[in-house]
Amino acid sequence: MAKRMAFYFDSSACVGCKTCQVTCKDKNNLPLGVRWRRVLEYSGGSWVPQGDQMIPNNVFGYTVSLACNHCEKPICVEVCPTQAMHKRDDGVVLIDAEKCIGCRYCDWACPYGAPQFNEISGKMTKCNFCEDLLAKGENPACVDACPVRALNYGDIGELRSKLGTVSAIEPLPEADLTFPSLVITPNRHAQFSGKGTGKILDLTEEEV
Amino acid sequence: MSEENSLLKALGDTVMSRRSFLKWSTALGGAAVLSSDLNLGLKKIDAAVAAAAAEGKWIPAACWHNCGGRCPIRANVADGVVIRVKTDDTHPDSPDYPQQRACLRGRSQRMQVLAADRIKYPMKRKNWEPGGGKKELRGKDEWVRISWDEALDIVASETKRIKDKYGNKAIYCPGGGEIQRTLSLAGGYVSNYGSTSRGAWRLGQEPLTGTTAQVEMNDRFDLQNSKLIVMWGNNPAWSSMGLATYNFLQAKRAGAKFIFVDPFYSPTASIMADEWIPIRPATDTTMLLAMAYVMITEDSATNKLIDWDFLNRCTVGFDKDHMPEGANPKENFKDYVLGVSDGKPKTPEWAARICGVPAEKIRSFALEVARTKPAAMLYGWNSARLEKSQHMCFAVVSVGAMTGNMGIPGGAFGISCHNAASNGGPALVSLGSSGVASIANPLAADPRLCSSEHWEAIVSGKYTAGKGPKKDINIQMIYHGGSSKLNQTNNVNKGIAAHRKVEFVVTHQYGLNSNAKYSDLVLPVTTQWERYSNFQSGNRELVVWASRVIQPLFEAKDDIWIAAEVGKRLGLDVTKIVPMSEEQQAFNTVAGTKVIKTDGSAMENLVTITEADIAEMKVTGKPQTGRITLKEFREQGFYAVPRKAGDKLGYIHNQKFREDPVKNPLKTKSGKLQLHSQVLADLVTNAGWNQGYPIAIYDPPTEGYEATFADWDKQVKGTYPLQLCNIHYPRRSHSVLDNVTWLREAWPQELMINPLDAESRGVKHGDTVRIFNKHGSVLRRIFVTPRARPGVVFLGEGAWPEMDEAGNDIAGATNTLSGDYPSGPDIESWQGCVVQVEKWNGKPLEADYKWSQRIVFKEA
Amino acid sequence: MNIREWALIAFTILAQMSVGSFIVLGIVHFFAARKAGSEESDRLSDRALLAIGPTLLLGLAASLLHLGNPFNAYLAVSNLGSSWLSWEVLSGVLFAAVGGVFALMQWRKFASFAIRNIIAVVAAAVGLVLVYSMSNVYMLRTQPAWNTVLTPISFYTTTLLLGVLAMGAAFVANYAYVQLKNPGCADVQCVLLRDALRWFAITSIVLLGVELVVVPLQIANVAAGTTYAAQASAELYGQNGLLLGVRLALVFLGAGILGVFIYQNALSAGHEKVMGALAYAAFALVLVSEVLGRFLFYATHARIGL
Repeated sequence: MAKRMAFYFDSSACVGCKTCQVTCKDKNNLPLGVRWRRVLEYSGGSWVPQGDQMIPNNVFGYTVSLACNHCEKPICVEVCPTQAMHKRDDGVVLIDAEKCIGCRYCDWACPYGAPQFNEISGKMTKCNFCEDLLAKGENPACVDACPVRALNYGDIGELRSKLGTVSAIEPLPEADLTFPSLVITPNRHAQFSGKGTGKILDLTEEEV
Repeated sequence: MSEENSLLKALGDTVMSRRSFLKWSTALGGAAVLSSDLNLGLKKIDAAVAAAAAEGKWIPAACWHNCGGRCPIRANVADGVVIRVKTDDTHPDSPDYPQQRACLRGRSQRMQVLAADRIKYPMKRKNWEPGGGKKELRGKDEWVRISWDEALDIVASETKRIKDKYGNKAIYCPGGGEIQRTLSLAGGYVSNYGSTSRGAWRLGQEPLTGTTAQVEMNDRFDLQNSKLIVMWGNNPAWSSMGLATYNFLQAKRAGAKFIFVDPFYSPTASIMADEWIPIRPATDTTMLLAMAYVMITEDSATNKLIDWDFLNRCTVGFDKDHMPEGANPKENFKDYVLGVSDGKPKTPEWAARICGVPAEKIRSFALEVARTKPAAMLYGWNSARLEKSQHMCFAVVSVGAMTGNMGIPGGAFGISCHNAASNGGPALVSLGSSGVASIANPLAADPRLCSSEHWEAIVSGKYTAGKGPKKDINIQMIYHGGSSKLNQTNNVNKGIAAHRKVEFVVTHQYGLNSNAKYSDLVLPVTTQWERYSNFQSGNRELVVWASRVIQPLFEAKDDIWIAAEVGKRLGLDVTKIVPMSEEQQAFNTVAGTKVIKTDGSAMENLVTITEADIAEMKVTGKPQTGRITLKEFREQGFYAVPRKAGDKLGYIHNQKFREDPVKNPLKTKSGKLQLHSQVLADLVTNAGWNQGYPIAIYDPPTEGYEATFADWDKQVKGTYPLQLCNIHYPRRSHSVLDNVTWLREAWPQELMINPLDAESRGVKHGDTVRIFNKHGSVLRRIFVTPRARPGVVFLGEGAWPEMDEAGNDIAGATNTLSGDYPSGPDIESWQGCVVQVEKWNGKPLEADYKWSQRIVFKEA
Repeated sequence: MNIREWALIAFTILAQMSVGSFIVLGIVHFFAARKAGSEESDRLSDRALLAIGPTLLLGLAASLLHLGNPFNAYLAVSNLGSSWLSWEVLSGVLFAAVGGVFALMQWRKFASFAIRNIIAVVAAAVGLVLVYSMSNVYMLRTQPAWNTVLTPISFYTTTLLLGVLAMGAAFVANYAYVQLKNPGCADVQCVLLRDALRWFAITSIVLLGVELVVVPLQIANVAAGTTYAAQASAELYGQNGLLLGVRLALVFLGAGILGVFIYQNALSAGHEKVMGALAYAAFALVLVSEVLGRFLFYATHARIGL
């Protein structure tokens, strides 16, 4: 079977430092407001009185680093009216900038917020798996950047056989929407998508 | 036209006129990298350059900030344009021999060095005149571009004038090595002292353990031998980026249990904590004392909690039978804990009321710490960045000594912070000396101003110089040769008043930080990317040799050039200020760099130097043999010592001391661990602010938890009912990088607050609030999270204050709120701070990354 | 909301109004011709027909404003295989083309009545496909607030409601013009006008009923949803409650109350002036209401995921 490129993310190691996000911006010269890879915090729990003290009750928090998941059934490719959004044979989903009309329909559709509009060029942009680096035999910039080695990539089949099949922890959407090419090692606090008790807490996320 | 090119063209068109753009390009040798009004840094680069970029040259670049990481980064330069930054990828990555990866701050370096908000030209305040001229306008005045000659003449003439009129004691130079050489030659200057960051862990810890180096734990591999690791106020994910968190993860994977004592459920805790003990800030000593109480009262022959052998052999001061010579036997730790000496037993119930941890939890935690062997209790610096916090050091050493977790594999108690976070032991590779001797400051001994008192001293004209009445001082000139004191010391509002009081303020800077903003004259300096060489040592396995990446931007000059030019104008001997070339200094540093032999027996030369190398660098020196060639070192830009589990390079702190404390004494007065230290007590007393005490006691800070009450006994809350916890924040390294747009976008400088505290104030996630106390007022948006302990709010230190017309600091600098409470030698109060938070009914704050940058001159 | 979102509101409202108007006009023309012959029928509706073209073109122009790169807009029909947006663009352009051809033929009376009728029916069918495509554009599986049969129902409702009221207003204007130019034939036209407006009033009252059912169902749909996105939409409805109230009040007033008055005034001759004023007012109120409704449609959606 042909290779299908996928990211691996270890939520049990991620501390949410956003080195991947900034590295991606540096590698790809992204303007402010555009983050091909970004980090989201998911947290929850409460505080309850015990005697005259306040005690944490299942307080938890964890972070998820997210780029484009180069999905098996990419809804962006499905809905793009110009076929600018397309899937390569190796599974990498790319935007042909020549064709993009900047209608942002893919942004409405993608449950990961991966396609992002560049106000200056008037076109959609997204993670291209560092296709130039891949072509040179190098790793995507984010993978080589992670200080806690929480990111990796490879063929989805190989990753799944080695690292499991989880691809949907909160705050990510359930996998059956687009079948993301993503393998996650859940944080020990992780809640499965659709069954979460926490919230996304990220001021930047609300900003963009 | 490709997407990228149209984007770049759009930028080029909107941002700069053709003319200025070309000038910019010239400055960079044909191409330019710039930021814009859109807060977007980008390079002007046509298709050909873009194609070449892929093959650009990687040049070792400095990441020189004081974060403890100081990781290697490399800049890809094509046709003089910096295309991209990367970090260590020189060898396959493994936990044993990991790549030394830089964090987001290193990765964003391009946006700092090549930013539109670089200071481009020498400039003076429009209303400045010799002697000051409308001094109240500092921080608000317009800037006027001037020539280097005019700028240097002003510095020289004002220095002379103030020196002649008031004497050298009127010149305060709190930072900047190069200009201090000039000022020392010119008769001296008032210097600054204070630990700034390390709190009591520097001078407070030294008399107790004999260590002034930041080494109080074992080597990183040995962490994997610990059964229990207590992370006390310790969040390396934010405060010690680089490898620390990754090293702790290896211990976690090896099976260590992790307990976090922290008012915040930190990112490090979120991946490692088996248990979280949410303690109140500034109350750690009470919990340690209560833990000691539990161990003392419950220890027995059948329930062994205390390592009596270690206590008896290796410490003094625990009980009245083991007192140091000449000490009052009543002043022993045990009797204080049990309440024998003051009638107040330090029970868990007593501590619980203050520190907010239930008594039963304190007890069970104490028992777990006492029974789990080996255990490592590792503290961040934050717990003793507090007024009178030498007692925290005392308590850490006392409780640690009771557990006996020292000198054994897997056992430690002490700090794990900064470049020694997660990895203790002497440096395995260390840089040589540049060979430049320092020039003695004739005023080095006195007067000196403490970081927690300097603004007060300038404003009031009095400073503390040991016991007895304060002495007079009349500072009329502030010379910021470096550092960021206005930002990074307590009470920014008082600092601004001090800056507006004196007759002359001058700053060397590459960005308009607080020091520069409140100056009369700003001199643009080069960053380390524009200098011949930069050397850094990171963790014990790493040294960095960074090279020049780009030519100096605009009219920026090196600090040493300014020091020499000012010296020339003051009629000083410039050869003393600049005794040798930068090439020679680099050569000396490299030639003197030593690395540990693989068998761990001794250090040897790192670098082989040939006659050809010496000729090429145009320096004098001798050839030598070492492990790598000079070319390899320079081109790779760093050297990391290869490690593997079981190598001979490990380290167990104080192992020999434990084996035989008499033969291998510590550098303390008794040669043992001092649970009682008259030396420390005297140091504190003699510093002039407080009465020292020779053992661990609980002595609350002025703005501790107790200060949140109007009536402590009746538990009635006061005007400032919340504690502000001042934390390291990933957006910056202290104050540096606060202006970097990509980092502002990633980290919004939010106030973290518990949902209960937010609800009771009628504010919700994302709202703008005012945080205020008697020192100042700041505005910030809030991040409502249960990860914050109720009653405590959290704000990252180091933001650049931005005062609005009503006096609110809309940037949210923690030092706008932190009070100046000097309390001992180098013991400074960054942590004790009480505040109120209220809904802000004015205009909500916009996200920081959308603010306009501090760009003074746009046109070239 | 920025200009691009307003562009979408303008496009969808104007395009749907055009489709609705075209269909309503066709039906009226058919019945009027049976009653009074094709000449009178043409006189009733031809000028109104000419108003539809510019409305649609305005809508299509607005849609271009939504694009970051409008110069490539022609590429938007490249993905008929899986993108409803391609269908929307294609059917929009086809509707404009076929409708335009028909309008030209009708105006110049090219070809036979039957052939013109066939073309009109084709144009109407394309218009219905356009509205169907438009609905499907929003029925994304990641958009719970939109991904419901209520979306096409509400789009078709808007189409017809704006269609009848726009045509009502157009007929009134046409009548005034006809009377001014050619007072002799006003009687027949007056009858036709009153007949049409009675039916328009009845239709708008029925469509109002549909809207009054659909809007609560839309809210119930998201309120009952289990995803965060659905909950977020429900919350957005809550935050926009005032606007929703205004939108419903306006449509109730315009299509309902004014509808009743129009009906009453259209029962007998002699109240043309009042009836005309009411028809203008009803159209204006409902147009504003539908614009608000469309604004809410965009303001309350939330995507599943991030």
